[in-house]
Amino acid sequence: MSRLKNNSCQVGKIVVFCCNYTTSVSTDTLREAGLIPENLDVKKLPCTGRIEVSALLDAFEQGAEAVFVAGCRSDECHNLSGSRRAEKRVGYTKRLLEELDIDPDRVEMFFVHRGETQPIVDAVREMTTRIAKLGQLHSI
Amino acid sequence: MIIAEQKPLDEILEMISGVERLLVLGCRGCVAVCSAGGDKEVGALASALRLGRKKAGKPIEIDEDTYVRQCDPEYLEPLEEDGKRYDAVLSMACGVGVNFIADRCPGINVLPALNTTFYGANLSSGEWAEMCAGCGACVLHLTGGLCPVARCAKSLSNGPCGGSVGGRCEINKDVPCIWHQICEKLTSRKQHQLLREIVPIRDWRPSGHGGPRRRIREDLLP
Repeated sequence: MSRLKNNSCQVGKIVVFCCNYTTSVSTDTLREAGLIPENLDVKKLPCTGRIEVSALLDAFEQGAEAVFVAGCRSDECHNLSGSRRAEKRVGYTKRLLEELDIDPDRVEMFFVHRGETQPIVDAVREMTTRIAKLGQLHSI
Repeated sequence: MIIAEQKPLDEILEMISGVERLLVLGCRGCVAVCSAGGDKEVGALASALRLGRKKAGKPIEIDEDTYVRQCDPEYLEPLEEDGKRYDAVLSMACGVGVNFIADRCPGINVLPALNTTFYGANLSSGEWAEMCAGCGACVLHLTGGLCPVARCAKSLSNGPCGGSVGGRCEINKDVPCIWHQICEKLTSRKQHQLLREIVPIRDWRPSGHGGPRRRIREDLLP
């Protein structure tokens, strides 16, 4: 597993919402191992189906440059349809961002295998790349 | 219930362009049930507006609240005073709530966050359909409970038009011809003699064409 480059923290804050199953490993451990950047704010929910549109928007309001939800693969969700619900809310949030003239690629849904670390690291990397491409949202 | 949907954000942002302190006010009546103006929608809209204004370099102070109903005076009472702390109150109620605030709280600049669309039923999660037009002269006893005023594109009273093909309406193949359904239902219930009754030209005055409507029940008046 390759380590993230140190300059990732200059890119801007990324907020990830995930459930207890998608990140079974402590994020502190991942951070210490250099697998996720310092600027990653991990918010755990009992299930990603609990995510609300307002929480995704609030994250941007609080200074996030990108926000993503890491939910279980649809056939692995502990609550059967939680991650599917989350996907729809991410979709709705994309629409609202578009209406605000903010690139909808700044928010994303990722379906990841339960208990695996690499998909989360890949998702962080993907969002980091997007931020670098899209430029700064915040002078906010 | 009354169905409504949120206005586009740019329209709302334009409405509140000069506003620095805003109250986003939801309603736990119909608009909460149809997921247009309840607590969750208040939270999402307030966040979106804060984000939009922050992006535009004009931050805004937004408070959030939701009343039990905005169409009853007892629930609106606190707003008369509390509302004065804001440059505007963005109501997420249907048009009734917005009008009632405007009537009852003249000192408050009330703005609509929703477009009120129709009286409808919840078909499934996230899907609503018009079922009643509030025409004030119900004929459902003649039509097997299916409303030709609300559910026929032409509001016809005496059977389908020539555009009904294979049980579908000519305006859109996804729309069932309600007169086709009425005929089938009455026939299956052996009530087809009702179809022979010629319904006279509709008097549209009870539907609002005679001016704003009012209902009074004397025994309940204070």
